[in-house]
Amino acid sequence: MRSEESVNNAIAQYSDMIRRLCMLHLKNYADTEDIFQTVFLKYVLSSVSFENQEHEKAWLIRVTINACKDLLKSFFRSRTVSIDQIAEQPADLPPDNREVLEAVLSLPEKYKDVVYLYYYEEYTAPQIGRILGKNVNTIYTILNRSKKILRDKLGGDVYEA
Amino acid sequence: MKHKLQQTFNLIHAEEELKEQTKLFLANKTQGYSKCKQTRFKPLIPIAICVLAVLMIVGGFQIYFTPVSVISVDVNPSVELAVNCFDTVVSVEEYNEDGQKLKDALNLQFLNYIDAVEKIIKDQTIQDYLLQDEVLSIVVTGSDAQKDEEMLAAIRNCTAGQKNTYCYRADADQVEAAHAEGLSYGKYRAFLEVQAFDPDITPEEIQKMSMREIRELLAHLSNETANEVIDDGHSENKGAGDNGAGHRWQKGQSAD
Repeated sequence: MRSEESVNNAIAQYSDMIRRLCMLHLKNYADTEDIFQTVFLKYVLSSVSFENQEHEKAWLIRVTINACKDLLKSFFRSRTVSIDQIAEQPADLPPDNREVLEAVLSLPEKYKDVVYLYYYEEYTAPQIGRILGKNVNTIYTILNRSKKILRDKLGGDVYEA
Repeated sequence: MKHKLQQTFNLIHAEEELKEQTKLFLANKTQGYSKCKQTRFKPLIPIAICVLAVLMIVGGFQIYFTPVSVISVDVNPSVELAVNCFDTVVSVEEYNEDGQKLKDALNLQFLNYIDAVEKIIKDQTIQDYLLQDEVLSIVVTGSDAQKDEEMLAAIRNCTAGQKNTYCYRADADQVEAAHAEGLSYGKYRAFLEVQAFDPDITPEEIQKMSMREIRELLAHLSNETANEVIDDGHSENKGAGDNGAGHRWQKGQSAD
């Protein structure tokens, strides 16, 4: 079992990342709270010895995404919520950012993580492939399709990056 | 676009309340980070409990229905009561037609063996037999001699005052031999006694006879043998083929 100190450090360091991943998949704060508890409890009890910080971060990304998928697969959670309700979560976002977030949230489920990891966490496609356990060509395909969707929704400046 | 996405995601932070709630949950779940490390076998515990419960139920069931002693009751109805280690009758086996009638008339299964024996003795059919001077034989058999003696004492106690009633103990091997001949032990024992005088007697013949008839036959055969011994002692010229061994007892024939 990991020490309280190392757990508090991980919470301080990775909470924002986990919160963003939760926002991509989940529909309410209570579910996010569940995922936080699940992910960090696994972290506390895990016997995995991390080689470095990158390894630790990738492990947490993977565990978070899997926990979200498990929660969504759960029979009792299989209820639908409109995009308006999803977008209501970050209530204090400025209109421009809100529009961007809504565009990302409207992407197919399996595209969202790839977009987040590529654009925000700045992982490469092969790294994303390893983290998500997918073929690198699949990641490239997802990225191309995501760019097209986002360009259609947000205008023609998607390829700036 | 990348810039816009980064700017947007930069605005999303984990709420302090969320972090604190998580810390509280973890401290509670790990009992202040002092809880022993979870073993990889922990998920197997519920399965192990279920398996144990099933084994206990099956084992308990088997123990309950395993007879440790047998009480053989013979008048003419011949029945055997299989008794478990809790002194409960778990099965009733009949060895003739009258035994079947008695078994059907009295619901002896799951009774305490003393209650079952009392119920048999008080049954009108058995009482009628005893009034006709029939002999009631009760034999206790089991693997535990001490237990058998205890049971025998209890049965003797409940048959006290009944005339023509004989209670005794027998070995499990003898009971097995009796079953192999298709007889209850009480009748098998009588069969062996008769066979000593008349080797041609068959278990089927004994099965059809009541205990009184068997005892009368025994008395008759032993008298006959005693007379032959006397005759042999006085007459050296007596023919070898005229020794009475071929004498056959017929059911209902008087012993005298």
